[in-house]
Amino acid sequence: MVGTMELLGMALGTFLIFSTLSMLWKDNPFFRVGQMAVMGSSIAHFILLNMQTVRDNAWTPLLNGDILMVIPLVLGLLMYARLKKSIAWLSRYPSSVLIGIGTGVMIAGTVSGQVLDQIAITITDVFNGGGINAMIIAIGVVTSITFFVFTKEHTGVVGKSASIGRKFLMISLGANWSGEIVWYLTQLVGRLMYIKNFLTALMGG
Amino acid sequence: MSILRKLGKIDYRWLYITSLILTAIPLFVPIGLSVTLSEPVKDYYAAIQALPEDSVIAVSFGGSAALLDEQEAQFLATWKTIFSLGHKVIFYSTTEDGPMILRDHLGKKVIPEDYGYTYGVDYVELGFSPLGEPGQASFAANIRGVYQADSRGTPLDDLPMMIGFNNFENIDLLIYEYTSCTDIEWAIRQWTVPYQTKVIATTLGCCGPMAAPYYPSQIAGFLSGSGAGTELEVLSGNPGPGAAMSDSKSIGILPQLIFIAFGNIAYFANKFSKEDEQ
Amino acid sequence: MSTLKKEVPKLIVMVFGILMILGSYTTIPIFDTLNAELTSWTMTISAVSVWLGAVYATYANYQLYMRNRKEGIEHLIYFVVPFLVFGLQFGAGILYGVESSQYLWYFAHIYTNIGAAVYAVMFFTLASSAYRTFIASSWDAFALLAGGLIYTLRQIPLFQAFIPGIVGAGEWIMLVPNVGGGRGAVIAAALGALALGIRTLMGKEATVTEGA
Repeated sequence: MVGTMELLGMALGTFLIFSTLSMLWKDNPFFRVGQMAVMGSSIAHFILLNMQTVRDNAWTPLLNGDILMVIPLVLGLLMYARLKKSIAWLSRYPSSVLIGIGTGVMIAGTVSGQVLDQIAITITDVFNGGGINAMIIAIGVVTSITFFVFTKEHTGVVGKSASIGRKFLMISLGANWSGEIVWYLTQLVGRLMYIKNFLTALMGG
Repeated sequence: MSILRKLGKIDYRWLYITSLILTAIPLFVPIGLSVTLSEPVKDYYAAIQALPEDSVIAVSFGGSAALLDEQEAQFLATWKTIFSLGHKVIFYSTTEDGPMILRDHLGKKVIPEDYGYTYGVDYVELGFSPLGEPGQASFAANIRGVYQADSRGTPLDDLPMMIGFNNFENIDLLIYEYTSCTDIEWAIRQWTVPYQTKVIATTLGCCGPMAAPYYPSQIAGFLSGSGAGTELEVLSGNPGPGAAMSDSKSIGILPQLIFIAFGNIAYFANKFSKEDEQ
Repeated sequence: MSTLKKEVPKLIVMVFGILMILGSYTTIPIFDTLNAELTSWTMTISAVSVWLGAVYATYANYQLYMRNRKEGIEHLIYFVVPFLVFGLQFGAGILYGVESSQYLWYFAHIYTNIGAAVYAVMFFTLASSAYRTFIASSWDAFALLAGGLIYTLRQIPLFQAFIPGIVGAGEWIMLVPNVGGGRGAVIAAALGALALGIRTLMGKEATVTEGA
């Protein structure tokens, strides 16, 4: 047996599912109420979890003597400077820290992981008995890179190569679409199961 | 207008209604179709099976509450597999939803204590931190730089499992659970490239094709979508929520495929009739 | 003042970026220590600034209400509902904790449900757009259609059971032509990201540091 609060929650959840699905008919007040509710809910959730992070990662270590933690705390507060036009430029400092660190971390791994290793794997597979599939992959890699060369007009050999590359990219996009449609279908199944569980609980199951 | 050409102008609300009805029917009348296993899933499972006894697995948990329907089968089957093999596990959440999902699922649906696990000795849960790529780099190099205590507030040095344990050197396998398609690059750049840590991944169905270029050389295996989760349930002998959804997906997709066929039939009927007119 | 507003942020980007790169490519302990410390700062900065999102969302909601308030009382409801839900859920989190059953009630029945339902709606919108656009009108479109359909059939147990060879065909689509195209896209995107990253570190990407 399901408790009263849980049953109320499932009733509210079922109403919210229908309100969201009602958007397929047309934009309507029920849909808008649902969207506004999730906006409030997600903001509350993100703020609470991040407040815990500030407490555990910065505030508590600061109180325990890690004086360096003042710096990221102050930088985080400087982000709010963008709310006032006259001092908005101060928010560039924490942004710059985030961008500098993020860019540096990205560059370090990209050269090996996404360029050199990927090229090496492609060539190695061809010469290490990868067979016809490895050849097809190698052709796909070369031709799809050609597609992204925008500094040369896509005519002649380059044009033909880019055209073949576009076919490979289209197959990739098709596979991507396929994954998306089945994913969304799974989400629909999940919501229908929720409604079914609510109806079962309502009937005393 | 011929009937074939009319097939391209059907009101798409018929597609909505038929999809909804056909998806709902198997929830009440299950069919029980079997699934076929795929190579990335087999390799994912093999990577866990190949670990020596008492290995340490780090689970970078990027779960999303809104995407539980797609991901739940994957991580429940994964955790059951890991716990039944007795490996030590560190969970750390990279999304705000992570701790809530872990608290709910590890507390109710897969209980480590049922496998003889003791918290702090055999598994720990470090909680949420907005890691991003720099955070993954930081975690791999110095766990205590990111987490000073676990999700329950216990200092790491008070947890027996975490004594002398601080970076990639102690981690035998990283299970990277993510929902944003390009995040796999973070695992490649911050774990595989610098430390050659063995990585396997779980993600959404649409992100699987984007993870494939890194398989099997940089990621040893991956699960893509709830279907892969169902395959892992079958492969590992751990039934779960994936199987319940399979039948609905099988029937629910039919209207979509039929309508795509209708659209193409209408297009070619139109094209050939115009050519005939000329 | 211009130095403080423009040049110093660019210098910060350069210094922090280079420190990260040095930490990755050298084995000098000081750089490893700095890397670990600096990357932990990013989490604190992100976490402290999360209220900014709430402020912007509130302001956007207020502007929407002000634009539409003449149309009727329901626009007041749209303005009030997010604050009401925020207040109740935030209060539950503060009073009882995020692990409490009170908080989980909001998390499970509002947050999770609507989020999942939005993706469920996208099934229908994607399906109807595919009906209109997945037409084999050219070889490119045929490649898109073939890749999509074969991989879809591979994922569905009904077709796995009744179409022999579909699993192999779907696997082949994902692991051969998809990898060919995807790997090329990865390399091209990585080269572009590297160029953008280097320009950013050199201070040539003004939009990045002069956003505010």
